[in-house]
Amino acid sequence: MADDRGTAGVALGSAPRVARMLRAIARRLTSGFLTLLLLTVLVFSLVKLAPGTPLAEAADEGLARLPPTTQAELERLYHLDQPLHWQYGLWLTSMLRGDLGTSFHDRRPVTAKIRERLGTTLGLNAAALAISILLAVPLGAFAAWRPGSWPDRSIGLVTYFVHALPVFCGALLLQIAFSVHLGWLPLAGIATDGTASGGTLATALDRIRHMVLPVVCLSYGSLAYLSRFVRATLLENASAESTLAARARGLGPVVAFVRHGFRLAAIPMLTLAGLLLPALVGGSVIVESIFAVPGLGRMFLDAALQRDLPVLLGLTLLAGVSTLVGIVASDVAYSLVDPRLRRG
Amino acid sequence: MADRAVPPGLRGGILILGALLAVGAGAPLIATSQPWVAREGGRLTAPALRVLFGGRAVRGPETRALLAAPVAHDPNYIDLGAILEPPSLRHWMGTDALGRDVLARLVHGARVSLAVGLVAAALAMLVGVPLGAFAGFRGGVVDAVVSRAIEATLAVPVLLLALAVLSSAAGWLAALSDATRVAVVVGLTGWMPVARYVRAEFLKLRRSDVVSAARALGANDLRIMGRYVLPSAVAPVLVTAAFTVGGAIVVEAALSFLGLGVHPPTATWGSLLADAREQIRSAWWPAVFPALALFLATVGCNLVAEGLRDLLDPRARRG
Repeated sequence: MADDRGTAGVALGSAPRVARMLRAIARRLTSGFLTLLLLTVLVFSLVKLAPGTPLAEAADEGLARLPPTTQAELERLYHLDQPLHWQYGLWLTSMLRGDLGTSFHDRRPVTAKIRERLGTTLGLNAAALAISILLAVPLGAFAAWRPGSWPDRSIGLVTYFVHALPVFCGALLLQIAFSVHLGWLPLAGIATDGTASGGTLATALDRIRHMVLPVVCLSYGSLAYLSRFVRATLLENASAESTLAARARGLGPVVAFVRHGFRLAAIPMLTLAGLLLPALVGGSVIVESIFAVPGLGRMFLDAALQRDLPVLLGLTLLAGVSTLVGIVASDVAYSLVDPRLRRG
Repeated sequence: MADRAVPPGLRGGILILGALLAVGAGAPLIATSQPWVAREGGRLTAPALRVLFGGRAVRGPETRALLAAPVAHDPNYIDLGAILEPPSLRHWMGTDALGRDVLARLVHGARVSLAVGLVAAALAMLVGVPLGAFAGFRGGVVDAVVSRAIEATLAVPVLLLALAVLSSAAGWLAALSDATRVAVVVGLTGWMPVARYVRAEFLKLRRSDVVSAARALGANDLRIMGRYVLPSAVAPVLVTAAFTVGGAIVVEAALSFLGLGVHPPTATWGSLLADAREQIRSAWWPAVFPALALFLATVGCNLVAEGLRDLLDPRARRG
């Protein structure tokens, strides 16, 4: 997008510019905070959507019907006699203290359950994000280098179709091809039984072999999306003044393209990375359940199937909060990097 | 506008979606063990049609089938003598672990999957369009609140949100049938992108001359929005609708695949894939064909959406 106020902005001194930038960041943080608050309201309303009360839940589990006085006492204990907004406040404070409740299923604190599985899912997603960015940038650049040429067209066609393949379809097809028919990679799980004794290198290799398909499945969607995005952004900037100026200064086309085109493309990519997060988290549920990876996604699905509300809501909240933080952080980074916004 | 050529992508997308919809709509006639034309006791009859309208199925040796349905199998007919048969002339896409014909199930699955996708998308539009229109048109506090709500809901991945709602609101939704429940949940968790898109469009249009003129003539907000702004926003709304249908079909399939959507024995593309997953070591055909069907449906929706965008919105067109 062109900004025609460019020259006016340059004339401004640096102090008001910084102040304006800080104000923009502060605005973003405030709105992010409000969004966060609304998110907690959303999750809390999910709690209230659940049928019955925790007491009915207890009754279902075979506890005898309680005498009215005990019931009233229990309702007071769990603040069920309070108005809804008060209940929300209490719930929110316990969330803020890091208390997500205890699992209906195994009576363990939700935070402990999350902590022991967080690493697996984070590792998987980090690998997927890294791979999709590392592959998407050269792929997109290669396609943008000669727009309309056959490499560009074929990359475009392949990424278009790959992007349209839902992740569980892709996962099953890859399993059939690489695990069942070719036998190159394990079908599911995170380790082969008995390899733990085969030395560290063998164990590590085995681990990696198990992670190949899940990571590929998690990344191919965003890889396709990102590479198309990189191509479009680079093309948009290929005729940008800075690139043309670099060419005029005698820089070779490749250097001008890479050094200036990418500098401009880096900014929108930053925001995009924040937006890709929800897709990755959603993908984790499917990928982890197909490949039997004991991560948070699998835990979420199990909780949904078992109606384990505290776990379900804790994870929903976690996913929402981390996505929001990612988006706000990338927006803030954006306003730090983007000179147009800095003047805005 | 009339002289603008229809983009080939749009044509292809309409063709794909049209074919899938036709298959879904005609499923009870396309995949049935009842013959289309038969001779029963000397009279020519149409048993497939008769069964469709609640009549009796053919039976007995006095019936002679003259013209079978294209897929002459019932989707739920269990044949334990023909378990996991690979594709053959008799079963074009093979049979599943219970000896059911995969193609017949795929055809009937199209019916449920597409219906759920369409209903869910319609619901999402029903919520998203007015909300986004109102927020964008009014601006100010209303817009701020709605925008924050959209952002907050979008922060939770759609699949997680749908799973959480299906799981926690189970009591409320218990009265609905599987397919209706999934459609409602997918629709009510999928309105945010629609609202965001429509909001942006209305925000742009609220300062247009048409609006000022209408206001000068004394039209109220509702009339301005419906009569003057909405027609200009039809293009983006249509584009979003096409994307939303595709998204809803995939979410339904994912939910059914994960076991919280439409349950067996009802065939949907997602539940077919869930069944197929159990036999993935021994049979590829129950998994590959539904996966391709889903892929086709998504490609079709994307092609239609992008084609519409190119056709209707000259700004988005690229060389």
